[in-house]
Amino acid sequence: MRSRAEVDATLQTAKVNPAELLPVVHCLSFGPQAAAGECCLLQLEPGLCAEIEAGCSLVIRGEKDEQAVLCSKDKTYDMKIADTSNMLLFVPGCKTPEQLNADQASCNIIHSQIAGFSNNYWELRRCRPKLKKLRKLLMQNPYGGPDSQKDQASTFSKYTTEDLLSLIQASEEEILHHLQVIDARKIEGYWRILEFDYEMKLLNHVIQLIDSESWSLKKVPLRTCLEELGSLEPTEMIEHILLSYGRKYFDDAGEVYFEMHEDKICRAIAQMLLQNAVKFNLSEFQEVWQQSVPEGMTTRLDQLQGLALVDRSSRPETIFLLKVEDLPEGNQERFNSLFSIREKWTEPDITPYIQDLCAEKQTTGVLLTKYARCSMQNGVKVYNSRRPISKQILF
Amino acid sequence: MVQIVISSGGPGALAQWVLLELQGQLEPRRSGALGGSVLGDLHYTHEGVPVLIVGHHILYGKVVQLEKPFAVLVKQGAKEPGAEEPGAEEPGAAGPDVSYTVTALIKTKLLFKTRPKPIITNVPKKV
Repeated sequence: MRSRAEVDATLQTAKVNPAELLPVVHCLSFGPQAAAGECCLLQLEPGLCAEIEAGCSLVIRGEKDEQAVLCSKDKTYDMKIADTSNMLLFVPGCKTPEQLNADQASCNIIHSQIAGFSNNYWELRRCRPKLKKLRKLLMQNPYGGPDSQKDQASTFSKYTTEDLLSLIQASEEEILHHLQVIDARKIEGYWRILEFDYEMKLLNHVIQLIDSESWSLKKVPLRTCLEELGSLEPTEMIEHILLSYGRKYFDDAGEVYFEMHEDKICRAIAQMLLQNAVKFNLSEFQEVWQQSVPEGMTTRLDQLQGLALVDRSSRPETIFLLKVEDLPEGNQERFNSLFSIREKWTEPDITPYIQDLCAEKQTTGVLLTKYARCSMQNGVKVYNSRRPISKQILF
Repeated sequence: MVQIVISSGGPGALAQWVLLELQGQLEPRRSGALGGSVLGDLHYTHEGVPVLIVGHHILYGKVVQLEKPFAVLVKQGAKEPGAEEPGAEEPGAAGPDVSYTVTALIKTKLLFKTRPKPIITNVPKKV
C-alpha cells in the first residue's frame, strides 16, 4: 500500500503544489474481483432511486423473443444497453470534496479499492405496459356463466394474478388496473372476462328489473337486485354487472346503490347490435339503437368512440364495428392498420383510435405529426399515411 | 417468460459509491489481470477540482452530480457455463435462477474529460 511519502514524492514529480490540494488523498487500486465482471450498472429513472432506497424490488420481464422490460411496482420501462467510449470505474468508499471538507478526519490517506469497471450500462426509458396480451389471454377462455358447458370441459388455461405477472410485460399495478378497465373478475381465484353474450344477458336482467320496478337509473338498490335476480344468476355475477355498468355508493342508511352509467350501457347495446352485420345504414341503426336502450337514456354517436366508425362518404351513410382493442399495439403497426382501413382520416375520427398510444404527457397531435401526413380536403384537415399502404379489403 | 428480480438486498441503507469516468481504456503496466494493481492517486484542489495522477499522466476533472443515479447490480445465482464478458451483461440471457442484488447506489461521478497531461520525470540537463 502506498505511503504518504510516496504520494508526496509523486506530487513533487508531477509538479503539483500540495498547498493547492486538500490534505486527504485517495490511493486507488483495483480490488481482487474488479475484473471478474460481477457488477453492472443500471441507470435509474427519477423515482426508481427512491423506490430502491425504500427497499422495493424491480423485475425484468420478457420472453426469449421479446425485448426485455423492467417493471417497478407500478411502472414499466424499456431496457437497452448503452455503450460508452469512456471507462466507468465504480469506487466504494470514495469521498467527494464536500464530504472531505465536512468531515475533519484525522487520517490523510484513504486506500480505496475499485470494485469493478465497465464501458456500458443498462438504460431505461418509460414505456406503455404491453397489455394487449392480457386481454388476448383472458379472451381464450371467456366465462359464459355457471351453466356454460364449455367451462367444465375447457382445456384452455385459466390465469391467477401470479400467472399473469409471469406472462405480461407490465408492472403489477398496471396489470391490476387494466383488469379493472376490461371488467375482468376473479372467479374461483382465476381472472376471467365475461363472454359478451353472457354479459348482455346479465345486463338485460338488471335493465328489465329497473324497468319493472320503475327505479331511477341513479338509484338502483343492490339488495333488491340480488333478491330478485338471485334465482336466475349467481349473486357474484349480478353484483359484477352492477359494478361494471354502474357507480357504487352508499346512502345515509348505509345501503348500497348504483348510479347506472348511461354512456356505457348505450355503448354495450350498440356493440350488441353492430356485431351482427358487417355494416349498417346509419339512420336505421340510430333509430333501432335508441329504441333498444332503457327508458330515460339517450343515445349519442360520441358514446361509440373507439368502438364504431361512421362512413360519411357512402350514400346512404353507414356505420360499422371497429374496436380499438382489436388493433395492433405498436405505434407504426397501428397507423398502418388504420390507414389500410381508410385512406384519409379527420382528426375527430382518428383520435379515439390512437388515444391509447400516447405515452405519459404525449398528445395525439404529436403522434399524428410523427406518423401521418396532413392535407386539406374540402376545407377540412385530413391525415393520411406517410408511405404507400395497401388497402384492406373490408367487405 | 424470464423474470429476473433485482432486489435491494437486506435491511439498512445502501452504500454510496462514486463513479470515475475516464477517457480511453486502461492497460496494466504488469501483464496479467488488473486485480490488485494500483491505479493512481486521487486528490482534490481547495476549489473541489479532482486531480488524478495515473502512471505518467495527470488528469484534471470535475465532480458531477448525476441527474440519473446508477444502481450497481451484482449477479446472484447459477453461473452460465463458459466465460462471461466483464461488464457486458445481456438482460434476459440468464439461467432459471438468476437474480440481481443492488449492492450500492452511485449519485456522483468524477469525470475526467480533458486530455491527460504527461508527467516528464527526467529532463536531461544541458551537458
